[in-house]
Amino acid sequence: MSEPILKVEGVQAKYGDFVAVEEATLDVPQGIIVSVIGANGAGKSTLMDTIAGVHKPTAGTITFKGEDITGMPAEKVVLRGLSLVPQGSRCFIRMTVEDNLVMGSYPKAARAKVKDSLERVYELFPVLKEKRNDLSGSLSGGQRQMVAIGRALMTNPELVLFDEISLGLAPTIIKDIYARIKQISGEGMTVVLVEQDTKRAIKTGEISHVMLKGKVVLSGRSAELGEEEIKKAYFGL
Amino acid sequence: MQILINGILLGAIYALLGVGMSMMFGIVKLTNLAHGEFIIMGAFGSTILSSALGINPILTLVVTVPVMFLLGMVLQSVLINRVMLRGAEPALLVTFGLSIILKDAMLLLFTADAQKIGVSYATASLNLGGISISVLNLVVFAISLITILVLTLFLRKTYMGRAIRATSDDTVAASLMGVSVKKTYGVAMGIAMATAAIAGLCVGMRWTFYPSSGGEYLLIAFGVVVIGGMGSIPGTLVAGLVFGLAQVIGGANYGMFISYIVLLVMLAVRPQGLFSK
Amino acid sequence: MKTKTLEASAHKQVRVFGGLPMLITAVVIVALLVILPLTGVLSSNTQRYLLKIFLYCCLGSMWNLMSGYTGMTSLGQQSFIGIAGYSLAVMTFTYGASYWAGFAVGGVLGAALALGLSVLLFRMRGMYFAIATWVVAEALKTFFTSWTFVKQGAGMTIKAKPYPSTTEIYMIALVLCVVSLVVIYLLLRSKIGLGLTAMRDDADAASSVGVNIFQSKLLCFVICGFFTALAGGVFYLNKGSIYPSGGFGINWTVSIVFIVIIGGIGTMGGPILGAIIYTVLEEMLASYPGYSNIILGLIAILVILFLPDGILGTLQKKFHFEILSQKRFSKE
Repeated sequence: MSEPILKVEGVQAKYGDFVAVEEATLDVPQGIIVSVIGANGAGKSTLMDTIAGVHKPTAGTITFKGEDITGMPAEKVVLRGLSLVPQGSRCFIRMTVEDNLVMGSYPKAARAKVKDSLERVYELFPVLKEKRNDLSGSLSGGQRQMVAIGRALMTNPELVLFDEISLGLAPTIIKDIYARIKQISGEGMTVVLVEQDTKRAIKTGEISHVMLKGKVVLSGRSAELGEEEIKKAYFGL
Repeated sequence: MQILINGILLGAIYALLGVGMSMMFGIVKLTNLAHGEFIIMGAFGSTILSSALGINPILTLVVTVPVMFLLGMVLQSVLINRVMLRGAEPALLVTFGLSIILKDAMLLLFTADAQKIGVSYATASLNLGGISISVLNLVVFAISLITILVLTLFLRKTYMGRAIRATSDDTVAASLMGVSVKKTYGVAMGIAMATAAIAGLCVGMRWTFYPSSGGEYLLIAFGVVVIGGMGSIPGTLVAGLVFGLAQVIGGANYGMFISYIVLLVMLAVRPQGLFSK
Repeated sequence: MKTKTLEASAHKQVRVFGGLPMLITAVVIVALLVILPLTGVLSSNTQRYLLKIFLYCCLGSMWNLMSGYTGMTSLGQQSFIGIAGYSLAVMTFTYGASYWAGFAVGGVLGAALALGLSVLLFRMRGMYFAIATWVVAEALKTFFTSWTFVKQGAGMTIKAKPYPSTTEIYMIALVLCVVSLVVIYLLLRSKIGLGLTAMRDDADAASSVGVNIFQSKLLCFVICGFFTALAGGVFYLNKGSIYPSGGFGINWTVSIVFIVIIGGIGTMGGPILGAIIYTVLEEMLASYPGYSNIILGLIAILVILFLPDGILGTLQKKFHFEILSQKRFSKE
């Protein structure tokens, strides 16, 4: 097996005095879908923010494609091919759908391919093409999530972190979005999916990491771990 | 009709006064109390260059705009980005300090004398079906509109412009797209100061000004921002017109007083502006 | 996080200079300030400096009460000062009344202005509030410049027969300064003050203290308007004449903000220290006309950058002590 594309070793992250991630260690092998599972407040989002450079870690190292990116600001991390779809989509609500997507091509390397990337996103989510001139603030939650995903794909990433994209969405829309994610992964992109729903996570992710109270407590191939063991780790039983 | 025309002509320059302030307000979330002094700096820059080189005052923009742009970038990155970490109030007070420094520095350099940028067509006017329109006011009107139009296109169509709008919506999401927020703030301040340079030229051509005139223009700019809604350029344009009309209707003695009252009521009733949701 | 900071401050030994020793020191200082000019030890020039310090101290403390304790940063203190200056001029010049009547009218109008403005201003927050207060002052300035009753831009003189001596004005200023400090001290120690400080530090905690925040803020604003107006009146009694551009000029607020920032915002002693420093600087810089605001502005920016708590605030944090603390400590 080749070197993992992302290695997280002993990462700790705090908000002031509050320790959100106490000690997280996990590997993400290239080209597959990896699930990060945990209950509310387990530190999943903070870990994703820390990997993407939105939040500064207080300890540990993060290695992406062999390069140390610990504490690197988000605007530099994305240039290296690591993109985060943040929790709650965080679209630029006063900009049109297309402007949101084009923002993804802001990195100089991505600008040359802006037309192709845009076409690809519209193929993936045809509804966005229909609404390309609408303000993203006027879209439904699912459509906003699609904008956020599309925007992340526009940056030409090799690894995308999806932070709880299913939160608050209707099951049919979740199903649709997950199908698209599988499609993206099938094209060779590495995917990290953060989920609270164990079933969905195991079904989608080839490898699962379970977080509990700021720690990665269980890691392994989803098929081998089995639902029971993952649920135990999830609740800390 | 005459009043309407005068109000519209006045409104465009008011919108120009406010557009830089509106950018800083909406994008950087900074109330820049030195914006009035920036405008007067621009006015002095154009006065000196045009009289020293004997050129058309409008040509002086070739120098004043880039110089002010750079000044703004430096100011933001060296000083204001740093204070903003301490919160909105310290940043407000720093720009207040900046405004008194600039005011007195200009007073020292240029004395308290009244200044005006002279142009050959200062007293010329057109007569269109009984309505007289000052050529000077028309030129200033055109400069203001063109500036606002160019700025709008810049914000709509360029990567930097989109980055500025994205940053104003969500700084974290913008950084995830590869945007350096601090650099964007620097560019926004640079643009704000560049518009102040152009506004300064217009102010200097239309009215007499003093080193101490900054406060007056700051409040007009602020009024335009408040009525138009922060960070909204079309709103700024309409607000400029409303403000200009209010003043023309109010007359010479109480025009400004009425504008201030309108502004206060607006602030109390709809602080988010007429044109934002 | 809140409990954390509370714990942290509890661990540190904070020496509070308060209670009886503070009261005695304050009384001695005030007594000296009363006796010295009467014995003729203080020249009238020195009295003039001290008089300014008293008035600036009053102005600074009132602004500090607003900005430092209730989070209302006003850039329009000159509204109160101008109104008071004009009340004094109109009462003494137009109606031939005594300057005491002028002060009274000024103080009442100042408080009334605050009360009236609160209807508009209290709907705003932060920078909106700050700029709106300035707009009010500018509106008053343009109004007074056009109002024939106050002789428009030509200004008015203040009449009094006999005109009070420097020592008399000094005494008035001293009394005003002491009274305003005592009022602020008592206010901050009261339940209202407790609620306001709680609100400044944590909006959620404030509601649990059970103080009506709106009423408390209003009370602070009205007190501020009243005393700022009185100080403005005394200033103009010392000056002798008033113009709209000066009376309603932003320079008043420039001085006040400088005094509080330098001394230490949100501390009782800050404005006192700031007023002394400002008056000394002002006198020193008087021989360099034109540079004074530039230098004051630079100092203010440097202090905000490097000593965000002001001189007194920084010293207090560094050495863990508090002068004139309004905090109440239960005997534990």
